[in-house]
Amino acid sequence: MKITNKEKMTNFCFIIPALILFLVFSLYPIVRTFELSVFQWNGVDKNMVFVGFAQYKDILFNNPSFWKSMLNAGYITLLALTIQNGLALLLALLVNQNVKGENIYRTIFFLPPVLSGVVVGLIWKFVFDGNFGILDHFLYGLGFKEFHDYAWLSEIKTAISSVAVVHMWKGFGYGFIILLAGLQTIPVELYEAARVDGANSWQQFKNVTLPLLMPIFTIVSILTILGTMQIFDLIYSMTRGGPAGHTHVPITKIYEYMNNGEFGYSTAMAVVFGVVLLVISYAQIYFSKKFK
Amino acid sequence: MLRAVLCLFAVSALFFSSCSKEAVELDVDVMVWHWMTDRQDAFEKLAKDYFTKTGVKVIFETYAPSDVYKNKISAAATANLLPEIFNPMANKKEIASYINAGFVADITDDMNKDNWKDVFFQRALENLSFEENNEWGVKSGIYGVPIDVSSMLIYYNKDLFRQAGLDPEITPKTWGEFVAFAKKLKANDIQPFVSGFGENWIIGAFAQSYQWELFGKEGILSTIDGVIPYTDARWVKIFNLFKELKDNNLLATGVVTMINKDAERGFATGKFAMAFNGSWGVNVYNSMNPNLNYGVFYLPILPEAQHPMRFFGGEGSAFYVNSKSPNKQKAIDFLKWFTSEEQQSFLSKATSNIPANKNASSDLPPILKIFAESIANTFGQLQKIEDWQVVNVLNTSLQSVIIGEKTPQKAAKDVQDEKARQMKNKKATA
Repeated sequence: MKITNKEKMTNFCFIIPALILFLVFSLYPIVRTFELSVFQWNGVDKNMVFVGFAQYKDILFNNPSFWKSMLNAGYITLLALTIQNGLALLLALLVNQNVKGENIYRTIFFLPPVLSGVVVGLIWKFVFDGNFGILDHFLYGLGFKEFHDYAWLSEIKTAISSVAVVHMWKGFGYGFIILLAGLQTIPVELYEAARVDGANSWQQFKNVTLPLLMPIFTIVSILTILGTMQIFDLIYSMTRGGPAGHTHVPITKIYEYMNNGEFGYSTAMAVVFGVVLLVISYAQIYFSKKFK
Repeated sequence: MLRAVLCLFAVSALFFSSCSKEAVELDVDVMVWHWMTDRQDAFEKLAKDYFTKTGVKVIFETYAPSDVYKNKISAAATANLLPEIFNPMANKKEIASYINAGFVADITDDMNKDNWKDVFFQRALENLSFEENNEWGVKSGIYGVPIDVSSMLIYYNKDLFRQAGLDPEITPKTWGEFVAFAKKLKANDIQPFVSGFGENWIIGAFAQSYQWELFGKEGILSTIDGVIPYTDARWVKIFNLFKELKDNNLLATGVVTMINKDAERGFATGKFAMAFNGSWGVNVYNSMNPNLNYGVFYLPILPEAQHPMRFFGGEGSAFYVNSKSPNKQKAIDFLKWFTSEEQQSFLSKATSNIPANKNASSDLPPILKIFAESIANTFGQLQKIEDWQVVNVLNTSLQSVIIGEKTPQKAAKDVQDEKARQMKNKKATA
């Protein structure tokens, strides 16, 4: 069947609204961000000074604090990929065993992700507080006298890990729901066949669950990487990048520069950060395909 | 086909009409955007009075917290949608950009008319003015209207002082006395000193007082010019003050990530004996704990310093007028009425702030009076300011000294390195 020009036009008309929204709210901001990144501009001045790739050069070779923030985000991401997703998988496997009240567990585990990041940050900040914190009170009660007034978020040793714990607590529910959905798509017959062949629980997990769950795990990993690298609200509400900049992540750095009237520089940072995320995502997909 | 095109046209028309400026305009003569949530009721009452008196409709809209407000103002400026009255919440360099871009009105002539400018605390008005030959090329004149003034001093809890065997009517005058007082408090299991040092500007404000005392105005300008390095012994001395507090365990637990709201809560609940905070703290403490028995004293001086001690402060809150608004004059007239003695007295009583109109500050409560007296000794006006990146490294280095990550010498060197980097960048851009 041949589509006439008139039909083509009609079809095109139907996609125009979506196309306009995409052009205005997705493509234009990306192009504009790149355009701004080659100018020195404070967001208000009429004149934007063209500086070419000088800001990129400065970010790449002369701004260690930005790369330190990248490392911080990388550290939290590493913990999230391993501990958070490991916990999500474990809980999904347990809930998938036809346990009683499956829906209740599902709801409880999915509660933290739907809470506002700022609210979660403020609540956990109170938990970690060295003066009024519940955690210190609890540890002191257990006999850990050294934690009498320990400021978890103000010590270099524990600040970034404390934030990471909160991020993982808030984020594991997403992975849990997706992995549980993935587990429920695996046909029961495969497990029955494996059992007939004499496979024990570990062998069933290794040879049936894991390979069939791999595509889902790739998606969860990519979402975890992208979500964690872009962490902002928790950091902002818990430490504002402190102590002495030790919990800064790329987005808080970009925000800091933008807030100080460095629009051009901060957009250049955003482009660099975007490229880093693209590379990581691509590498993740590449290796998971290779592994498969 | 025709129906599809018509549908598309209708959707597009709806979309673009909702984006047009006319769609967001309300029946208002003067729109004020501000961030002071605690003062909204008082502002609305005054706006109502003004409408009754003049028939000019003024609306106050709140956007908080202040950094959200700041971003809104900058976005509105880019889109040319600023209200009649606003505040960019920015440093002098950024304010200069707003002025040079034509967003802020020069109100010098109005200030000179009927001696309007004479009703204000001079220091508050100075900070809202630009001098001849300023480095940003702004025409000299007055550009902002202060609505209150503030300064930052040290509050102390009289009951905790008494508990530690200190006379609450005697306060430390020198740094040495301050440390001795704090040690005595510590010896009695009381956390001596707190402030929102997790907020860079507060730790910076504390350090800047000693910068003024050790360097004076000329010394500060020379530092900005790069003539005096941050590795100067006086800067190391400032870093050492923080180290001394840290070494003697005199700072509140977790002070380096503590925001001022938390520090205020801690002081109000009697957890800490002394707090570096602004005059707005009076209102905060009274509302958090009406029974709090506290006083206030000036920052302790360094006996060896060559210059007078200065305090962070001046204009507390201020408003600027949108020069592009057709109702510009109405906005200026409203601000003139808003800052007259009667309205300022009302605002001062309703919000426990120090009025910008000095004639309205005669019947202030005793503690606010001490703050009002200190206004004359707040930081003086500077024709240039330090690069924010240098200030940022300075403030985080102060935090690093407190957590024991850097020695005062290393902290000073790091700030100087950043200064050198910024000077090199400036040279390259030029």
